[in-house]
Amino acid sequence: MVQIVVSSAGAGGLAEWVLMELQGEIEARYSTGLAGNLLGDLHYTTEGIPVLIVGHHILYGKIIHLEKPFAVLVKHTPGEQDCDELGCETGTRYLVTALIKNKILFKTRPKPIITNVPKKV
Amino acid sequence: MEDYDWELHGVEDDFHSQFAAELEVLAELEAGTAALSPSRGPRVGPVRRTFEEAIAGGDAATPCSPGRPSGSCNSGSRKRQLATSVQKNRPLLQTPRLKRPRLEAVKRLNFRLDEMEESLPPDSPPQHITPPQSPEVPAELWGKGPVDADADTSLIWASSATRNPVLRRPPVLEDYINVTSTGGDRAFLVLRADPVGTGVQSPFRDIWWRGRGQLDLLGIPFTSLKEQVDNERRQRVLHEAQHLSDTLRSLRSEEVEEALEEEPANNQDDSKHCLWVDEFAPQHYTELLSDDFTNRCLLKWLKLWDVVVFGRERPARKPRPSVESARVGKEAAASSKWKSHEQVLEEMLEAELDPSQRPRQKVALLCGPPGLGKTTLAHVIARHAGYSVVEMNASDDRSPEAFRTHIEAATQMESVLGAGGKPNCLVIDEIDGAPTAAINVLLSIIDHKGPKEAEPRGLAIPAGGVPRRRRAEGGLLMRPIICICNDQFAVSLRQLKHQAFLLHFPPTLPSRLVQRLQEISLRHGLQADPGALAALCEKTDNDIRACINTLQFLHGQGQQELSVQDVQTTRVGLKDQRKGLFSVWQEVFQLPRAQRQHVGQDLTLPTHTLLLGDGLTGAAPHAAKVSLTMAAQRFYHILHTAASAGEHEKVVQGLFDNFLRLRLRDSSLGTVCVALDWLTFEDLLGQAAHHRQSFQLLRYRPFLPAAFHLLFASSHVPRITFPSSQQEAQNRTSQVQNLIQTLVSGITPATRSRTSALALVLDTLCLLLDILVPKLRPVSTQLYSTREKLQLASLVGTMIAYSLTYRQERMPDGQYVYRLEPNVEEVCRFPELPARKPLTYQAKQLIAHEIEVEKMRRVEALARDRDVPQVDESPSGAKGPQEDAGGKGAQPPTSHSHAQWLECILKRTAQEDQPERDFFGRLVVRKEAAPCAEDAAPETDSAEWRMGTAVGRSDVWFRFQEGVSNAVRRSLYIRELL
Repeated sequence: MVQIVVSSAGAGGLAEWVLMELQGEIEARYSTGLAGNLLGDLHYTTEGIPVLIVGHHILYGKIIHLEKPFAVLVKHTPGEQDCDELGCETGTRYLVTALIKNKILFKTRPKPIITNVPKKV
Repeated sequence: MEDYDWELHGVEDDFHSQFAAELEVLAELEAGTAALSPSRGPRVGPVRRTFEEAIAGGDAATPCSPGRPSGSCNSGSRKRQLATSVQKNRPLLQTPRLKRPRLEAVKRLNFRLDEMEESLPPDSPPQHITPPQSPEVPAELWGKGPVDADADTSLIWASSATRNPVLRRPPVLEDYINVTSTGGDRAFLVLRADPVGTGVQSPFRDIWWRGRGQLDLLGIPFTSLKEQVDNERRQRVLHEAQHLSDTLRSLRSEEVEEALEEEPANNQDDSKHCLWVDEFAPQHYTELLSDDFTNRCLLKWLKLWDVVVFGRERPARKPRPSVESARVGKEAAASSKWKSHEQVLEEMLEAELDPSQRPRQKVALLCGPPGLGKTTLAHVIARHAGYSVVEMNASDDRSPEAFRTHIEAATQMESVLGAGGKPNCLVIDEIDGAPTAAINVLLSIIDHKGPKEAEPRGLAIPAGGVPRRRRAEGGLLMRPIICICNDQFAVSLRQLKHQAFLLHFPPTLPSRLVQRLQEISLRHGLQADPGALAALCEKTDNDIRACINTLQFLHGQGQQELSVQDVQTTRVGLKDQRKGLFSVWQEVFQLPRAQRQHVGQDLTLPTHTLLLGDGLTGAAPHAAKVSLTMAAQRFYHILHTAASAGEHEKVVQGLFDNFLRLRLRDSSLGTVCVALDWLTFEDLLGQAAHHRQSFQLLRYRPFLPAAFHLLFASSHVPRITFPSSQQEAQNRTSQVQNLIQTLVSGITPATRSRTSALALVLDTLCLLLDILVPKLRPVSTQLYSTREKLQLASLVGTMIAYSLTYRQERMPDGQYVYRLEPNVEEVCRFPELPARKPLTYQAKQLIAHEIEVEKMRRVEALARDRDVPQVDESPSGAKGPQEDAGGKGAQPPTSHSHAQWLECILKRTAQEDQPERDFFGRLVVRKEAAPCAEDAAPETDSAEWRMGTAVGRSDVWFRFQEGVSNAVRRSLYIRELL
């Protein structure tokens, strides 16, 4: 049987993260992959509406409270040397690092940002 | 007449006296038809003879003593002939027999006689008249050529004497001229008006006058001329004697008389232009040579059509109740399986007509080898039954349309002219040459059912109603069709055979054929003894056409007599008819039945022929001299058969397939070994011949059947099956090769590197099959011990290594089985051997499942292995832009967000003195004078432009997907969590 040990560092010390849901795809322009690149800026309007600027798009979203919160787990794999026949199964541990109770949903059509408008306007 | 003839010519006269009665009959015959006159042949011999005589008479004046009764010396006889001419006047007056009938002959011979008579001094005295009936004379006559050479001339004189104008005494009533010989004899020539025609007298005179000085006029040396004449005369006399006797013998039978009457009187000229086969083709039913039963059956079948064609009532034989007739017919059909072919045929003929009053079989199919007279039979019988024959050759009109047109034209129309209003009978010759489509047309015509067919039977249709009904029924076949084929097993004929009245043509009886050949040869003055003719028949397998053609060929070559030797040495009559494969095999494996040897048949002759025929001329002179034993004869026969059989490969395959099924007399199997050696040799030969194009080796191939014959031939009838082992072996080889190829292509490279296909078959696979059958407990794998698990894992590993698996298959009976796939068991297991104890269904299922799972695991492992390097790479790949970003000197590497960028840009636009750079930090070379406005625009508004690039050309951008909400869904394995 598969037994996975999930443990948390402490009840009080958990960070709370926010999940962001986009209707669409985030793509890299230069085929180098997304890793390490800046996605964009997330701002909040005065009314508390999240605004995401990705490239030349601006997205307006809303904050949704999740019915079932998520937990962010980090996998800890023990080293190979102390892995015996049974230890392999029990060696892997998961550590709860954060909780997600809200998400920001961007489901509307993004609006383009036009930069090279004539100066007079 | 015989008296004086005998005196003058000694032996020859006796010939004449011997056959006097026959001559008389002949003369009578000739009066009617002039068909068989012995004097009608080309008269070259006698003409030369007269010249010769004239010359002889001119220089050699020494007369033999003419009184000798047995004067057989040549010169003497010649002398005496001179004397004859003078003396003929007396018998002319005394015995005027045979005068009338011989008119024609006399006319032809006239000039010769007269010339002779006139040219020669009648120096010999008249002879006394004593008819000698010496019994020894016939022997001389037949035995010695030169002696009886004069027989014909004497015959001629005998006949011509009746009109001889040379008289001993002065004629009383007519004018005459007297002639005195040197010896003092005086003869009187009657002056007479030409009774026959004007054409005779004038050449006669010319030559008469020329005859005076004939000594100088010969262009050819006399000796050679003499030899030539002697030879020819010898043959002619022999031949004519035979001719006469044969004619008289055959005259007794009625058939000949009929034939003689039909024969045109002047067929001497015709026969040079037309084939004897056509000339002597039977004209009447009674003259048919073919099997009586066959003839009768066909005639009966044709007569069945009388009801519908001629409107005659069928002679009621057995009145059957029409209600029961169907049942009776069925019964007959059922019981006919156990009846002989003849009975079946009889029953077919007895059967009821169909509703439209036609016979049940609308088509008669005659089949048999060529030259048996099938076409002739069809023609004769159709004519006999009152039809006019329409012949059509199916191999000429091959297209179905032409076929249909012909058939319809022949069966539905009637010739108005010529045929005298007779209905047509269609004879389709060589129907086995027609394509299947054409045969189908014929079948559809046959099957076309009239409207009456559907009606209940038993309608008595009056004979008078036939024409009306025919009109009404339109396309209904109302005429008999006779099809003729050589090969009844032709594929296209399969359908037709079921519906046709099938008649096999048995071979002609040799006795009848010989008799007919004798008649023919007699009529053409070809001397042939029955033995030779029988040999001819045997040689041609009783093929009438071939026999007659051979006869004509020999005759046309100038041969006057036919001997056994001629027949056996001639290669003319041989048809290039290939024997069937089965008959070849049969001949190889079966000893020939002991045949009667014809008396005087020389065994060396066929040998010689055979050797020549096989192209082994080098050996021929030696071998031909040696008289052959039976075995050698058999050997050559088989050699010849095999050489002419054609498909040598098939022949050899048949021998190979069948020779082990024979009863072997050799318990030590020595003959089998020898035979196998021969087969190996054959293979080598074939390989050498075909691979290296040394086709001269092919001539040695027929020796294999000959060797097999000598090894295995027995008197038993061998049961021969068609060879299929070659085909099977080939199929199997290709199948196995496919299997191996599949297997090899599926084997993992690590394994494949150590196995070749051959090693796989020979070494690996048979052992592998044993490896693949471990003992597995029929329990769940969860309950296996560690060792069992290892065993299973290794089994699965092995099978995957060789890309083997078990696949479920549904058997024809609905059961499911697991089969090894690819099924290498077929490769390395002999089918006759007992099968190994197979795994149970469950075990196989388990293994198959394990293999599948293991394969999946491996594929995933492979994918994971592929993923890992990617993960490793991605940081390094991400370094690139970071370094690039680091390379941007002025821009802070930490400025990431748009806000910061914008701030930077704004800050930079404020600092005018800074050198311009583009977004990526490269120096922008400013041109002093902006060449164009478009260029200037973005550069002047560099702040906005930079902002635009910063926003619009960011590394990451967003693509909105309208209406699609495929949430993040990714398969996640538990193993990844572990």
